[in-house]
Amino acid sequence: MSVNEVQEYVTVTIAGQMFGIPVLQVHDVLGSIHLTNIPLAPMEVAGALNLRGRIVTCIDVRKRLGLPVSEDLTRRMSVVVEHHGEPYALLIDTVGEVLSLKTDQLEKNPATLDHRWREVSSGIYRMESNLLVILQIERLLDFAGGSVAA
Amino acid sequence: MDDLLSEFLTETNENIGIVDAALVTLEQNPDDETQIDNIFRLVHTIKGTCGFLGLPRLASVAHAGENVLGKIRDKELSVDADVVTIILEAMDVIKELLEALEQTEEEPEGDDADLIARLNAVAYGTAAPKPAAAAPAAEESSNVVEFSEEVSEAELEAAFLAAEGPDDVPAPAPAPEAETKAELQPGEVSLEELEAAFNAAPGPDDEVAAPPVAAPEPELVAEPVEAAAPVKAAPKAAAKEGAQKETAIANQSIRVNVELLEDLMTMVSELVLTRNQLLQMVRGMDDNEFTVPLQRLSHVTTELQEGLMKTRMQPIGNAWSKLPRIIRDLSHDLNKKIDLVMHGAETELDRQVLEMIKDPLTHMVRNSADHGLEGPEERLAAGKKETGRVVLDAYHEGGHIIITISDDGRGLNVEKIKNKVLENGLATEAELEGMSTQQIQNFIMRPGFSTAEKITNVSGRGVGMDVVRSNIEKIGGTVELKSEEGRGSVFTIKIPLTLAIVSALIVECGGERFAVPQISVVELVRASTDGRSENTIEMINEAPVLRLRDRLLPLVHLNEILRLETAADEVAEQSEVKGDEEFIIVTQVGAYTFGIVVDRVFDTEEIVVKPVAPILRHLSIFSGNTILGDGSVIMILDPNGIASTTGENVIGDHNIEEEALRDANDTDKVAMLICRAGGEEPKAVPLSLVARLEEVDVDTVEITNGQMVVQYRGKIMPLVTMSEKSKMVETGRQPILVFTDNERTMGLIVDEIVDIVEDRLNVEMASSVEGVIGSAVIRGKATDIIDVGFYLQKCFGDWFGSKETAAFGAATKSQRVLLVDDSPFFRNMLVPLLSVAGYEVSTAENPKEALLMRDAGKEFDIIVSDIEMPEMDGFQFAEEVLKDERWADTPIIALSSHTTPQDFDRGRQVGFSDYVAKFDRDALMNTLSQTLRAGGGAR
Repeated sequence: MSVNEVQEYVTVTIAGQMFGIPVLQVHDVLGSIHLTNIPLAPMEVAGALNLRGRIVTCIDVRKRLGLPVSEDLTRRMSVVVEHHGEPYALLIDTVGEVLSLKTDQLEKNPATLDHRWREVSSGIYRMESNLLVILQIERLLDFAGGSVAA
Repeated sequence: MDDLLSEFLTETNENIGIVDAALVTLEQNPDDETQIDNIFRLVHTIKGTCGFLGLPRLASVAHAGENVLGKIRDKELSVDADVVTIILEAMDVIKELLEALEQTEEEPEGDDADLIARLNAVAYGTAAPKPAAAAPAAEESSNVVEFSEEVSEAELEAAFLAAEGPDDVPAPAPAPEAETKAELQPGEVSLEELEAAFNAAPGPDDEVAAPPVAAPEPELVAEPVEAAAPVKAAPKAAAKEGAQKETAIANQSIRVNVELLEDLMTMVSELVLTRNQLLQMVRGMDDNEFTVPLQRLSHVTTELQEGLMKTRMQPIGNAWSKLPRIIRDLSHDLNKKIDLVMHGAETELDRQVLEMIKDPLTHMVRNSADHGLEGPEERLAAGKKETGRVVLDAYHEGGHIIITISDDGRGLNVEKIKNKVLENGLATEAELEGMSTQQIQNFIMRPGFSTAEKITNVSGRGVGMDVVRSNIEKIGGTVELKSEEGRGSVFTIKIPLTLAIVSALIVECGGERFAVPQISVVELVRASTDGRSENTIEMINEAPVLRLRDRLLPLVHLNEILRLETAADEVAEQSEVKGDEEFIIVTQVGAYTFGIVVDRVFDTEEIVVKPVAPILRHLSIFSGNTILGDGSVIMILDPNGIASTTGENVIGDHNIEEEALRDANDTDKVAMLICRAGGEEPKAVPLSLVARLEEVDVDTVEITNGQMVVQYRGKIMPLVTMSEKSKMVETGRQPILVFTDNERTMGLIVDEIVDIVEDRLNVEMASSVEGVIGSAVIRGKATDIIDVGFYLQKCFGDWFGSKETAAFGAATKSQRVLLVDDSPFFRNMLVPLLSVAGYEVSTAENPKEALLMRDAGKEFDIIVSDIEMPEMDGFQFAEEVLKDERWADTPIIALSSHTTPQDFDRGRQVGFSDYVAKFDRDALMNTLSQTLRAGGGAR
């Protein structure tokens, strides 16, 4: 891995924690959304929404990470990513800025991290004020017994 | 791939398909000359094109096949199984070559000498002395040597040698000869024969005894063959001409890549969605400049959608084209005699659907022929005809295509299936005990039932039936099986016309909206939870059911299936929120009918089914999702999934007879309006008689001249009650049935309009009560059929010539009456009247239609015809009937509202047996029976 290689991440906050999503995977950032509930779906699936004529499955990242349900349900944002040609909206609290970070500064997940977090994180960046957890979209969407990865 | 080549491949594949089918037909009907010509022409085309494209191997096989066909066409060879088999074999080789060609774009290496030799052996027959065939040919071609038919072989050979030698014959010379020949007779015949002769001349030396003169022969003969080559040009040109005539029609159509169509379809689907969205937006606003252009857009979109749908439609026969061949091969291999009967091959359905049912269908037909039908001995022993039948039938019904595959074979052995079910642990003995025969039979379509080949021996069926079923269900279809041991089996496949755009019912449950494909919705029922309305949900040990007419309908609560209550954790609250009414969507999956209870029902919407995200694919309860006009995402419920999640995927209990009866009577079904009036018992009136259903405000009812009337559409409409017992409502609105004929309108007061049902109107009991024709069983209940004529008469006494009569019931049974009348009203009125009197009634809207019936070979015992009809009146009709001997002996009774002596005379003159005033039913009945009796009507 070259020393100068730089990766750009969109930062998002969920329950006070900052996460990074590779910017190239992000297609859209949505403000208020109208979700259609999908009964019987895995609990991580928050519903489906219409994004310019495409049906996007919405994933509640809080549930995926085992975080408590947000108190303020009205102000939620989502980041649309594409995986295997299918669009998914990741339900998060807020969207921050885009950061360019050197890949060689990525640190391994600490062994004490919750297994659910370790599953979806590819590593941690040490920022000045806080820590940035890098999310792996593939892993994040792989919760229903590997049906997405297939 | 080269365009030319790909075109050739498509065309040739198609042609081979036709040849396959035609050959099988030919085998059954060897004298069918058009078939022979057709096959010959197609094979010839294949050969010609192969030569043109430089595909020698294909050309030589086709050529050899053509030779055999030529012989058949010239009646030198009779069509039998062996001949057909070898030609089919040749077609198979061509198919293989084509496949290889498609893959590699090159003709594969190989040698077909053996096949060609065998083909030639058939063509020239080891029995037929080949030089004899060569002789006339040589005579024609060389134009030098003259022979009589009787020349001996040796002489012939000598002549051959003696002939100036084809080398000397100028090459063009044979051509004109051939041309003249072509003018005289179908050109190809003689030339093919000629060619064949030349081919035969060198002789398959290994098969036929070597000709006496051996040495010089090859040289000599080789030459004529070549000489014949230019000759061939002539017939080809002729053939081309013929082909061109055909392509003139073919030129009206073009071949379009299917992908392009699919893309277009997707785009139109998107367009429909956007249109819906726009419509929804504009609907909210009152008047606005967008309304008109949007309406136009909406129209155009709809038309575009329909047009595109049509381009995707293909006759189902395309999926069947291979079947005759398969059946034929099977019957040879298995030594069975099988008749394949196909009905409704022209029924069209979406290409995509067609592709998907092709294999299941083939599989099922093969199964029917292979496992379903018995061998000839077994059939004879069972008292059946030696030849088994496999019948394929396709027709439209609602938004569906119904395909049935029936055989008259041995049927399914329930006991054996039971054993197998137990063996495989699919059900317990107790469970089996409670199942109907049909449910047990349906196990053969269960996955896990047909695990091994040996099951074939056990059940006689079942190889891959689960695959067939899942394939059909994948496209939203259903398969049903009905079988009776020893009598045969019927598979009924029900599939949607198209997959792309479906009409869906939008419902609400637990605050969420869902779409239900309209296709699976049978009807909607509103039910109360507090017992106020007549439809009440009742519980059997916590299982909700609904009494729906004559049956008990199992119900499922959608919110329970979807666990919507628990999700909201408001179980207690929900039940209150539900309110006092619920909607039941009566749904049919296969033969299993059940109700889905939802909170609300909105309208229907055209939706484009989109697949759900992969993480949701395991939810069998949804068949997809879509975006509604208002832009929201909605999940589409899959009734199949609901049926299977709510327990057993039960298949209903229709039996074969019932089905057959239904099929037979489908056309005789009459839509009946069921109402209640003057008593609890249901009353029915043919719906076609009813002009409108109205509700009038009781306050607007006036009385004039002792008659209740209302002002209706600017006129006075009399109201009549069913009987003295029936009363008007005191206040509010009164439902009435409006009957109209020409200028006159009448309102019949009823207590309640119950339903509209389609059923066979079979009046079983004549009634002596005024105003009732008789009683019929409709939907399992004895129902009085209202005699509309009686009430019309009551209102307009003058309208009818004489006083009313009770139905005339003494006529001889099943006399066939043809009723010709242009007024649908009177047709509808007289049909029940006549049928109650025991006549078998057919109707014709006008004399032309009646004459068409005559041409179709139908026969009647008596004709009742109106006089005043447009285009051709009753007098002319009578003349027409008398002119032709087919119906000349059939008595005709004239019906007319004008009964002047002049008319009467004229009627008699043109051949009417009698003349009856139109509304004098008594007279009509009397005249009918008298006329029939007089004319030896005791038939």
